[in-house]
Amino acid sequence: MQMDFSVIIPEIAMVSLGVLVLILGLILPKKSLPRLGWFTSFSLIGILALVVLNWNNVGTVSGGLYLIDQFSQFFKVIFLTAAILVVFGSMAYVDKHLGGQAEYYSILVFSTLGMMVMASANDFITMYLGLELMTISFIVLVCFRRNDSESLEAGMKYVLLAGISSAVLLYGLSLIYGIAGTVLVVEVGMILAVQQSLPLLLVGVVMLVAGLGFKIAAVPFHMWAPDVYQGAPTPITSFLAVGSKMASFAILIRIFVLGMFGVSLSWGILMAILAGVTIIIGNLVAIPQTNIKRLMAYSGIAQAGYILVGMVTASQAGVKAIMFYGFIYIFAVVGVFTAISYYYNLTGSDEIKDYAGLSQRSPLMAATMVVSMLTMAGIPPFAGFVGKFYLFMTVVENYLWLAIIGLIMSMVSVYYYLMVVLVMYRDRPQDSSPIVVSLPVRMTLIFTMLVSVVLGVYPGPLSEIINKAALSFFMH
Amino acid sequence: MKSLPFLTIILLAPAICAIIMAFIPKEQVNPIKWLAATGTFISLAMSAYLYGVYDTAAGGLQFVERVPWIKDLGVSYFLAVDGISLPMLLLTNMIGFSAVFASWNLESRHREFFILLCLLISGVMGTFIAHDIFIFLLFYEVVVIPIYIMVIIWGSSKRVTKEYAGMKLTIYLLVGSAFLLVGIIALFVKSIPILGEPNMSFAALAQAGNQMSAFDQKWLFALMLIGFGSLISMWPFHSWSPDGYAGAPTAVSMIHAGVLKKIGGYGLIKIALFSLPLGAKFWAPYMAALGIAGVAYAAFAALAQKDLKYIVGYSSVSHMGYVMLAIGTVNVIGINGAVANMFAHGVMAALFFSAIGVIYEKTKTRWIPDLGGLARQMPLLAVSFMLAAFASLGLPGLIGFIPEFTIFIAGFKAFGGFAVIAIGGIVITALYALRAGANTLFGPPREEYNNLRDIRGAELVPLAVLGLVLIAGGLLPSLLFDMVNSGVEPLMNQLDNALKIGGLI
Amino acid sequence: MLSVWGAVLIFLIVGVIFGVGGMLAGYILAPRRKSAQKSIAYECGVDTIGPTWVQFRTSYFLYALLFVIFDVEIIYLYPWAIKFQSLGLFAFVEMIIFLAILVVGLWYAWKEGAFEWT
Repeated sequence: MQMDFSVIIPEIAMVSLGVLVLILGLILPKKSLPRLGWFTSFSLIGILALVVLNWNNVGTVSGGLYLIDQFSQFFKVIFLTAAILVVFGSMAYVDKHLGGQAEYYSILVFSTLGMMVMASANDFITMYLGLELMTISFIVLVCFRRNDSESLEAGMKYVLLAGISSAVLLYGLSLIYGIAGTVLVVEVGMILAVQQSLPLLLVGVVMLVAGLGFKIAAVPFHMWAPDVYQGAPTPITSFLAVGSKMASFAILIRIFVLGMFGVSLSWGILMAILAGVTIIIGNLVAIPQTNIKRLMAYSGIAQAGYILVGMVTASQAGVKAIMFYGFIYIFAVVGVFTAISYYYNLTGSDEIKDYAGLSQRSPLMAATMVVSMLTMAGIPPFAGFVGKFYLFMTVVENYLWLAIIGLIMSMVSVYYYLMVVLVMYRDRPQDSSPIVVSLPVRMTLIFTMLVSVVLGVYPGPLSEIINKAALSFFMH
Repeated sequence: MKSLPFLTIILLAPAICAIIMAFIPKEQVNPIKWLAATGTFISLAMSAYLYGVYDTAAGGLQFVERVPWIKDLGVSYFLAVDGISLPMLLLTNMIGFSAVFASWNLESRHREFFILLCLLISGVMGTFIAHDIFIFLLFYEVVVIPIYIMVIIWGSSKRVTKEYAGMKLTIYLLVGSAFLLVGIIALFVKSIPILGEPNMSFAALAQAGNQMSAFDQKWLFALMLIGFGSLISMWPFHSWSPDGYAGAPTAVSMIHAGVLKKIGGYGLIKIALFSLPLGAKFWAPYMAALGIAGVAYAAFAALAQKDLKYIVGYSSVSHMGYVMLAIGTVNVIGINGAVANMFAHGVMAALFFSAIGVIYEKTKTRWIPDLGGLARQMPLLAVSFMLAAFASLGLPGLIGFIPEFTIFIAGFKAFGGFAVIAIGGIVITALYALRAGANTLFGPPREEYNNLRDIRGAELVPLAVLGLVLIAGGLLPSLLFDMVNSGVEPLMNQLDNALKIGGLI
Repeated sequence: MLSVWGAVLIFLIVGVIFGVGGMLAGYILAPRRKSAQKSIAYECGVDTIGPTWVQFRTSYFLYALLFVIFDVEIIYLYPWAIKFQSLGLFAFVEMIIFLAILVVGLWYAWKEGAFEWT
């Protein structure tokens, strides 16, 4: 049995990188460990280049269990980009607060690998495998601040809820398997397309939505998110917010849009309600928060709601909108969290009130935070606006109420983002010495900000690429 | 003949200056100020030039720049001006240029202020020259955030805190714009099957919108009315306006009252009215009624105010009531009047706010009972204040008279005696405007203000620019009206045709 | 008529009877004498001395973890070993990679001091 391994070279490279970083950690002298961050980030850039260069090199491995199409390639680009930015943004943080660089970067690489597997998985088992690889890596990363009780608490909560949600998800998958008799998503789709709607199917769908709802932190499965986001090391929080969420969306799309296309009526309305509730709760609960990481956690919940909007119609336009929004969402989240973690390094505080006068101490950090937050709020000319435009375009015809709720709530979200802006810009700093931003962090900040602006003003080329990728998704 | 991309240059000049400013050390106050002045002056000079060479006989869209932008949404970078948008563009640049000089004596954090101001001016201009709805939306909300930051940093807390004012202004407009966005997205999505391809240019959407069912047109128009209406401070969505202006720094008040509000009226005419004629016809009486209510309510409210900025704030709500009434008439005269009145009010409101800004800067108060007799100490200031006040009450010979007169004619034609209430508003306007002037400028001079210096140097620029236009527009109204009419008339003819066909169905 | 699945049903019924029957018989036949000994958690064995919530050294867990890893590895190795002839070089290389990754893990654990007691 000969397989075409060339299509999974990026995955193989990821495994090698993860093991290599671990080995390097064993043989390198302790004082050169901080360089591992640079090594990891440049290797990841190389792997990203591999994915991009092999953009059209599509195919399947293991008899269709593992599928490489432009859809999965695009998601891999998302995950790798996020990982690269997170590594860049976390170097200073890791060196100062965490230690254990080899383990940190290695596990980060493995969690990214898990996401990549999720994006490409074409059957339930492989999906689950990728999901668990990602989740278990995240469990380790979340409690990486080993001496901090908050971090350990966050880790414990994450273990429990990740376990429960995986169990629920697995049960849902097994019910679907019971109906369809196959684990291959495409075959499930063909069988369900001719199947009558069964009560069992409905139970399966609800279980799946619940299990994945946990992973993407959709209301009412969101309660772990604020605690875990707050307790986890800040760079990991950002990776959790982007990577874990988008990877779960990748399999959500795969299972629902491809596997249950024929019965989309039965879950479309469910998704719409879930999206609406998530948007409302996420945004409203974010308003009274005083800790910036909790604020971002609730805003992240609301963002999950927006992305869910793209699921409602189970259409190519919806898939495309999710991919587009996911792409710009990385840069927004990583931008904000990089600034947050760098500021935490200096001041040791995550309270919003301690951000007073940031605009005068470091205009770059303040500007990046403003731009990234406004991208999330969907204010033009930043990229989030285009993303929301695509998302709500899909529902405006049949679910007008959802579009109205979504857009009004995104304007409400401006309120709490502006409260942060208020503190950063209006107040005078207690300590007015300028902040010197280290090179990797400065690169990350400038890059994320530029992307948010450029994609907001000129999204044409990206949207062309995504159109093709979304089209490839339906070609099976 | 491939001419210069005038509109792009006009649009980007202030923005580019803002970017350059970001790299100047913040202690270098004078280079920053002059850079801001240069950027806005380039835009002003070029838009004045365009105003001069625009071919009113030919009408239509001129100086067109069109580049495909986002293919799958049918968006193109489509800049052009017609008889409606050109006056607005000119107005923006006059006020922007004046606003830079009105902020000349700013006390702190100059660099941030002028960067934000320049970005704001670029943003406002963008809405008036974009003829693609996506590009329009990009600029529409761009302006909100710089304004918020400017209000919270440089604003003033009197009756309400500046934080409250800034947030109220921002959230009000954003929530309004959420409705607008839904309306525009829905219009766009519905237009795709009609046009056979996605296309977001105003003209294409108008063509598609005209073919939609009356029901669709009605609810789409309602959504847009809420969005644009809250921006133009249509009663009862007006309450952000006086509070917001009171909290904002002078330059922001000038730009906001002068041009930003007008985006609401402009959008209502250029997008909502021409795209959805049946919807407009249906909502027209309601718009007119709300307009008249706004005129009467705001005029009485202004009477009761003692803070100068609140008076002008309510006065602007009242003037926008006339604009709403004019749009509600849905005839050529009315729309002409609406556009002209927006222009006229922009000039006078900006002059008003700059004069109040000077008073506040020198005396540290805007409270009328604490003021008096300033005309002795500051005669030139008194000139600019009274010019604005006279224009505001519609004195013939100044810019305010002809537009208001036009609106009354249109109002009578469309609604008859009902429009009398609106004319009643003008009497009250005269009352509060003159009273404010009398109590602030005239009467016995107060000793504590004896050492105040009259406006001079850079402070004279707003008076020179805006005052000149105020008089010129009054003496030669055809300068403005020919232009506006060249834009309105052809579009209104199309609208009438659409209404006739719609009526038959 | 009993179908093939009937056998399963019979198996289930017998299984239930077997389990429940034994307990039921014990419940009916056994004498009941209560004593203090009988009410403690573990009836058999030695009485506990001192608090039972003692903490174990983490080294035990590390040992257990490493044991599990290599235990599971055997599951993959057996079928491979049986079919070794027919699978050929490709599977050999694959298995070497698999083992190499595990060895790296062992190396890591060793280096980090998982096998040291002091």
